[in-house]
Amino acid sequence: MSVKYIPVQWNRFKWYYDAAMLAGVAGFLWLFIHIAPGLLSHERPINPQVHNARAFGACAFVMLSIILASGPLARLDPRFLPLVYNRRHFGVLTAFVAVTHAGYIIDWYFAFSKSNKYEALLFANTSYGQIAGFPFEIFGVFALICLLILATTSHDFWLKFLTAPVWKRLHYLIYAAYVSVVAHVAWGILQDQRNHTFTAIFLGAAGVVAGLHLLAAFKETRDADPAADAQGAWVAVCRADEIEEGFAKIAQLGEGERVAVFRQDGLLSAISNACAHQNGPLGEGRVAACFVTCPWHGFQYDVRTGCSPAPFTEKIPTYNLAVKDGVVLVDPKANPPGTPVDPVNPEGV
Amino acid sequence: MNTAELLFAAVRWWLTIGAVVAAAFLTIGIDRIDEDARGAYVFRPLLLPGVMLIWPLVLWRWLRIETGAGDEQARYVPPRATHKTVAVLMAVGILAAVVLGLINRPQWPADFVPQQISAPGE
Repeated sequence: MSVKYIPVQWNRFKWYYDAAMLAGVAGFLWLFIHIAPGLLSHERPINPQVHNARAFGACAFVMLSIILASGPLARLDPRFLPLVYNRRHFGVLTAFVAVTHAGYIIDWYFAFSKSNKYEALLFANTSYGQIAGFPFEIFGVFALICLLILATTSHDFWLKFLTAPVWKRLHYLIYAAYVSVVAHVAWGILQDQRNHTFTAIFLGAAGVVAGLHLLAAFKETRDADPAADAQGAWVAVCRADEIEEGFAKIAQLGEGERVAVFRQDGLLSAISNACAHQNGPLGEGRVAACFVTCPWHGFQYDVRTGCSPAPFTEKIPTYNLAVKDGVVLVDPKANPPGTPVDPVNPEGV
Repeated sequence: MNTAELLFAAVRWWLTIGAVVAAAFLTIGIDRIDEDARGAYVFRPLLLPGVMLIWPLVLWRWLRIETGAGDEQARYVPPRATHKTVAVLMAVGILAAVVLGLINRPQWPADFVPQQISAPGE
């Protein structure tokens, strides 16, 4: 959360998450370098530089696959939400692993001529007009640039500065990066792969990522939040008795806006469904002592005011609401973020 | 100057301009547009590479915040509907990359034995 920015905001869960992640990376590299050469057809002689390059490249691909799989997994089953919680650290480490892979490649294949090694990477193969022998390195270069942009804009400052929607659109680059990595592998190392273990692992991972995203996207369409019904100037969200104590009902107001109507101590309050941090779905969180906790990263807001508890300064818009004949009506014109609104008794008392 | 040199020079210019923008933004701009950054200096070096990479976006946002361009409500409208389009495009892209890669795999003779056709270089 805000207050004053610091380089990294740690907590106990993030320590565990990062420790598990680092152990996983170290374990993967050790396995790839020391255990798997036969399995991955590395019995043919390659020097340590190339072996290391392949290890880090494979590790970056697996890490990117896990990052991309965690989002739709959490949408399909909330038990995977902890994977999403600290995903930005995962992304930064992935960028470091990918840079290491690129470093080994450039310092081996392009470093022994009089030309600048980075220029050599660009001019060594220019057969862009054909698929066989296509300079697949360019896919890796593009993916690496994407990963660097994502890693270097992962600090919370960027979310506030760019706004969450702009930040999220920028971070959609990860999808382009993944397709590019798949092309980099399929048009690169896969062309010379004689042992099909690696091919099967690669195709399985890419297929799982694509499949999970399609599943989550179509589930989102099928289970979409209901659109609020226009009732004059206000819109109907649901019946008041459909909202359980401590939870919310979400409705679309149009133009992508969503309202979440909560019941706390029997009284109703309406706030924006989008968390100020990363636009997480607040309406899927639970209210305790008037504060709803975002299921993505734990940001909290008072459902009566839209304000985070002091000393934090995040604010989200609130909505005026009324209950008529047992139906919850919301004024679709949002109040400025942090505007207090008295909770409404659905019984009209 | 060949194409590779031209591209490499363009990258250097991009990063150089980014460094100039970063110097101005991280010493002057950031204090003007974000109260949470005032008095906080240790985290700023972390922003340097990001500003160098996406400096046009930084200048655009800096200008919008300085001029008070109203986009407060847009903060709460996440691009959720875009995900379906992106998911379909990604799946199609993955499938195309894999299929094109596999069908163009060179088929070497199974009994091919490499032959050294010239003496190794000194």
